[in-house]
Amino acid sequence: MTSKKIILTGSFGVGKTSLFNQFIFNKFSDKYLTTIGVKVNKKTVDVGETQVNLLVWDIAGEVSQDKVPTSYFLGASGIIYVFDLTRPLTYKNLNTNIDYLKQLLPGGVIKVVGNKKDLLSESELEEILGQVELPVQFKTSAKTGENVERLFFDLAKELI
Amino acid sequence: MSNQNHSLMDEALLDRLKEILLKDDREELAEIRNILEDRKHLSEKVSPIIEEHLSILKENFSTEYEDTINKLIELKLENSQEQILETIYPALGRMIKKFINHQFENLKESIDGTVKNTLSFAALTRKFKSIFTGVDESDLILSNVSAAKIEEIFLIERDSGILLGTASIKTTIDQDVIAGMLTAIKSFVEDAFQKESLELEMIEYGGYKIMIQTFYTYYIAAAVEGTLTSLEKQNILQSMHDFASKEIAIIPKPLSNKSILISSKLEDYFIKENSIARQKS
Repeated sequence: MTSKKIILTGSFGVGKTSLFNQFIFNKFSDKYLTTIGVKVNKKTVDVGETQVNLLVWDIAGEVSQDKVPTSYFLGASGIIYVFDLTRPLTYKNLNTNIDYLKQLLPGGVIKVVGNKKDLLSESELEEILGQVELPVQFKTSAKTGENVERLFFDLAKELI
Repeated sequence: MSNQNHSLMDEALLDRLKEILLKDDREELAEIRNILEDRKHLSEKVSPIIEEHLSILKENFSTEYEDTINKLIELKLENSQEQILETIYPALGRMIKKFINHQFENLKESIDGTVKNTLSFAALTRKFKSIFTGVDESDLILSNVSAAKIEEIFLIERDSGILLGTASIKTTIDQDVIAGMLTAIKSFVEDAFQKESLELEMIEYGGYKIMIQTFYTYYIAAAVEGTLTSLEKQNILQSMHDFASKEIAIIPKPLSNKSILISSKLEDYFIKENSIARQKS
């Protein structure tokens, strides 16, 4: 079995912890509890014959990624950058933040994820995606669980 | 008509008389009314009196009200015993435990000092016994005191926090998560204080200590329960160094897929009854 460290990052209140809880425990809560520091947990994903032990670091949200302690990113294999589809401020500087993360983790896999999909209609979603600076690889809903498993599975697959 | 005139004159005279006789009193009354109705004037007059009384009250509060307060406290204690106990009991327990641990540490350190400096017959006998049995002198003296024991040991990749190997006396919660969280705490502390050359060396939780020794690509964390003297701390740290140089250095890199081998080495070196680390400490 191989182990990989994954970082969940992004602005505050975008649903990182909800994605984390949905992926690890299959649970969702409407209560908003801000993450202090970092929370670590793991889940094993089967990718074909290979078992991948994903160690997920759920980091406290910061508007700008250069505010996150760089040591948290050390040794990471992948980063999931989460923004809130309903709050333009959380994807306003997407390009800058992703460039910064690429510098921190050269060669690492970075996934851009738009969360809270359940709050939008299809047309609203299309409109918002047109405003986002970069391609959004996953449109998720931590509430309904939509695309959450797929996100982590695809990431694990890319890492082995 | 004449009678009526007389009566009016009498009244006027009476009023005049009243005016003459009560003039001073009326003026004084007006002045008092003015003082009472004007807040500023009243305050000027009353404040010194209140302040004086307050100062007397402050000075004599304990004597004046001691009995009343004591009765109130007694009554409160009597009526809320359960509630008070519930509040202070956990804190009291922790304080006592910490205090006892601290006292044991002091005691053990003082004995360590005595052992080193004494050349009496008893000390020599103990030394011989220690040499032949292989048991540390302090342990012989403190046979009734619970010795510090490594309960769990982890070898963790330094940057990622990925667990490379582990061994423990008892089963604990997910060790991968412990390794991850330890690394996160370590990163947080080291980042927060921004001292590049410094490393987190110990986390203390009640009577439980996690000793950390960091190497270039990994670190070793030992969860120790019991009282630890500075000598024992040094011994454990030395064991970690020895383990790194003698056991880990010879394993072909990378270490990431040698979990079974590393865990087995950790168990032999730190956890088993006759392990090297136990003999040293």
